Amino acid sequence: MTDYVTIAIPKGRILQDSVALFKKIGIDCEELLSDTRKLVFENHEQKMRYMIVRATDVPTYVEYGCADLGIVGKDTLMEAEKDLYEPLDLKFGYCRLMVAEPVELSSKDDPAAWNNIRIATKYPNVTEKYFAAKGVQVELIKLYGSIELAPLVGLSERIVDLVSTGETLKQNGLVEVETIAEITCRLIVNRASLKTKHERISKIIEGLEQHI
Amino acid sequence: MTNPACIEAPLPKGVSDFLPETADKITFIADSIHRVFELWGFRRMITPLLEFEDVLALGMGDELRSKTFRFDDRQTGRLLAIPPDITPQVARIVATRMHSLPLPHRIYYSGRVLRQAQMQSGRSREIFQSGVELIGLNSPEADAEMVAMAVEVLKNLGFTGFKIDLGQVDFYRGIMDASGLSPAVQRQLQEAISKKEVTAVRSILEAAGAPDSVKEEIALLPRLYGGREVLKEAARIAGNERSRRALENITQVVEILDIYGVADHLTIDLGEIRGLDYHTGITFEGFVPGIGEAVCSGGRYDDLTAKYGYPAHATGFAFNILALLASMAKRPEVEASSSRDFLVFNRKDERREALEVAQKLRSLGFTCARDIIKRDFESSLEYAKKMDIRMLLVIGAEECAADQLYLVRVADRRAIAVGKQELFDKGLDLKFDLQGENHG
Repeated sequence: MTDYVTIAIPKGRILQDSVALFKKIGIDCEELLSDTRKLVFENHEQKMRYMIVRATDVPTYVEYGCADLGIVGKDTLMEAEKDLYEPLDLKFGYCRLMVAEPVELSSKDDPAAWNNIRIATKYPNVTEKYFAAKGVQVELIKLYGSIELAPLVGLSERIVDLVSTGETLKQNGLVEVETIAEITCRLIVNRASLKTKHERISKIIEGLEQHI
Repeated sequence: MTNPACIEAPLPKGVSDFLPETADKITFIADSIHRVFELWGFRRMITPLLEFEDVLALGMGDELRSKTFRFDDRQTGRLLAIPPDITPQVARIVATRMHSLPLPHRIYYSGRVLRQAQMQSGRSREIFQSGVELIGLNSPEADAEMVAMAVEVLKNLGFTGFKIDLGQVDFYRGIMDASGLSPAVQRQLQEAISKKEVTAVRSILEAAGAPDSVKEEIALLPRLYGGREVLKEAARIAGNERSRRALENITQVVEILDIYGVADHLTIDLGEIRGLDYHTGITFEGFVPGIGEAVCSGGRYDDLTAKYGYPAHATGFAFNILALLASMAKRPEVEASSSRDFLVFNRKDERREALEVAQKLRSLGFTCARDIIKRDFESSLEYAKKMDIRMLLVIGAEECAADQLYLVRVADRRAIAVGKQELFDKGLDLKFDLQGENHG
């Protein structure tokens, strides 16, 4: 398998955008879009292998070298803090990592006066770092989904979550108060792979760069 | 199958018990590395497992320091540390105990260190290191010697297609010094460059309002990797004296490596700045196909021994033996390292002959164990198979004459009757021809 290049891609919207992007540089992986439960796909002609994994697992597979390349959102990378190369911003999958709170709270709230606040989030590492840099003490509650629910039922006052259109926030009576980071998808590369498969991987990076 | 009589004896995460089969392989790999170190004239040093934390910390960067296991010393009340790396220990010993000896020192070590790891990352907290330090030389030839040894080890271990990735941290430092950017911006850039995040580097430069010439230089850093052409590209952009000297230095090292004939294995990465708080010149890491992490790493650290009061130029590197093991465990020659030669099985009531034959085989250099348990032939053969022993040597077997021994090859159960002298003369080279019996 060492002469193959393996790419880890998460399911969903990112997968579609990725397949379309790879097609532009002559890498055909439309098979990934077919309705199947297969997790690994191989293209013997092009010596390529594809793995479908959960977004949060992409950095792990790539850090260990099970995949040479991966496609994943910057939010996941910021949270995972793995030792990886991130040579390309693929520009798709745009959204923002935000601090949000209920409308009523927001009307009389002053972010500059925040201290010892309680936040529910899928991103405890990023949140902790962000507030530490601001000198604000936070208490974190790690959740795995439907973060917007937390302030409605009094689990936390505020949340840190990804926002793309803002529709979910709006429907749940929340407003954005601060932007932590703008998020797009990244091409990530295993450190050893970039050196041992330098020519093939550089070609892919340079090729993709022309199309974003 | 669980054993209900077993007491529950859990281990802390990130450490392992290595059973004989794996331990043999680790020994095989470590011995092979040490042989190369010795051939290049290096001498072993054995460092202690405990140090005073404040003393050890003098020789460690912040990251390594944060990964150190620390606890109180009941005897002195001071903070103790289990070393997370052996190099600072070697630096301390050279500076304090060997300062009156002539330079250079060629020292090698082999041992285990402990480092804290992220929870549930599957990373071992115990690291098996075998490495060298070459102290007292500033010459590019010393740096090249490190790289040439790393290549020799990897070749001896049977690797092909591996790469040694060379960096020179002073090239980066020169560019940053000359840029006039604030330390805060430089810190942001350092992180982005180490991840090769081209777009982040550009936007940081943009936000900092850096002049165009600086922007062009720095924005190129994440892409300054590849073959030798990188050096030319770097020469084109490097305007400052320090970076130019760094380039000249790495070029000289590459030229010396040409003489060693290892150029095929080199890649160059001038954007590689891991260990920036520690290294002062050439750095390198070794990568083998199929393994996601470096199998060896090292470089120049001219400031280290001075922290213990004895300034000296120095370079060195270490292998991560468990990373090597992961990629080699299935190779035939490594598998073979965990097998043994003879198991002596006695059918006679009298034990003298069995013990004498076993002693003679050992004196000839064969590994030889005695099956002391009284059991039948099949059980003994089964035991030999499980224990990865090549030959079962039966004393007093019915199948052979009184002055002969009966030798059974465990893998295929083929057997021959053989005279003692013939066995001692030929050992494992004895021919099991097709006329031989097959116990199967």
